[in-house]
Amino acid sequence: MKTLIYQLLLAFATILPAAAGYGQIQKAEIVATGLTCSMCSNAINKQLKSLEGVDKVETDLNTNTFTVILKPDHAITPATLKNSVEKAGFFVGSMVITVSLNQVVPKDNATVQAQGATLVFVDSKEKPLQGETKLKIQDKGYVTQKEYKKLQKSYSKYSTYSVENENDFHVKVI
Amino acid sequence: MRKLTILCLLLAGHYANAQELFVMTEPASKVPAGSISARIGQSLMKEQFDSVYNYHMMPEVTWGINKDWMVRATALSNRNTDLMTEGGGLYAKYRFLSADDLHSHFRMAAFGRYSINNADIHQEEIETMGHNTGLEGGIIATKLISRVAISSSVSYEKAFDNKPDYAFPKGQASTGINYTLSLGRLMFPKTYTSYKQTNINLMVEFLGQTLAENGRSYLDVVPSLQFIVNSQARIDLAYKQELYSSMLRSAPNGVYLKLEYTYFNLTN
Repeated sequence: MKTLIYQLLLAFATILPAAAGYGQIQKAEIVATGLTCSMCSNAINKQLKSLEGVDKVETDLNTNTFTVILKPDHAITPATLKNSVEKAGFFVGSMVITVSLNQVVPKDNATVQAQGATLVFVDSKEKPLQGETKLKIQDKGYVTQKEYKKLQKSYSKYSTYSVENENDFHVKVI
Repeated sequence: MRKLTILCLLLAGHYANAQELFVMTEPASKVPAGSISARIGQSLMKEQFDSVYNYHMMPEVTWGINKDWMVRATALSNRNTDLMTEGGGLYAKYRFLSADDLHSHFRMAAFGRYSINNADIHQEEIETMGHNTGLEGGIIATKLISRVAISSSVSYEKAFDNKPDYAFPKGQASTGINYTLSLGRLMFPKTYTSYKQTNINLMVEFLGQTLAENGRSYLDVVPSLQFIVNSQARIDLAYKQELYSSMLRSAPNGVYLKLEYTYFNLTN
């Protein structure tokens, strides 16, 4: 009986989040890791600029931060951006996306559809979100390797967190 | 050994803040995927037993196939005064380990090279980049901390006959173990303002070889100065000096000038 209730609860939990809403990724701030030279940084800069749907890329060479401004109706997901950085030979240390939202409550496991990507809220205050919202992606490959090891422990309560899925992004409101 | 450790520590301290685009050796990192870089390596080496200088030219094209693989084709010119093609080589590198953090990384790569050469074999040193037909295979480990890069490699090199005219000399060692240690430092700029800023790197590299059959060896030191222009072009100036050698080498000392230009995202 206990298992049945648990299963029902689980089923409920997976159905519920689908209603949370839709959003559009407008901008991504990416900190790349493992580089300190301007030629390396330029490789990432050129990769990002070559993506269809990217309006412009602003860079801070000292912090290796790339602010990618996206065109309206682009088809870019965080995975597209991550692959670009990795193609240049480097990795993503942090990625914060700016998403426009309409009355979304970031409950644990609630989701938002943004183009082809599913954003899953984790570790956030349950305060309704309206308008441009900054979300930090917490998945493997979007944080440093050290950070991921820590998150793996503290996010063990989120059943989908350790599942590797290219289109699911666990995000924290910042 | 203790002296060597102290020397390394001193150098690491002095050259702390380096970059890893080394002049004489390859780091474990590679060129970006889809990019092609063109390089012209030139060297002027002094003959050991004559007061003659040899000029070599080595054009290279490097392509980043994907995030882990790169290949390079090299043409080698003749060491004599007339520029003639002496041979060529193919090189491939595979990055198999990356542990990156915000301003640091540790990477490892495996590489292999096959070269052909038609020149006469006039020294004991085995050099598939310019003197011998042969194979080389090895591994590289590179550590970058903030602006400091330290890289080391170990490789196995095997020389064959320089066909069609020159057989590998009988009784001469045809197998070598190579080892390198490279340190570098970013001198300028202290803070970046744009991609247009010229970067200046100072490097020092140690290159050694021990022949497997008879244990003869050499060790060279190569200090170099590197300019990175417009975050796209490289100008490398280096001087190679033999520190010791127990083998016959024809022209170990000399200067290098290497020019490189990277075309980003050509094949994406």
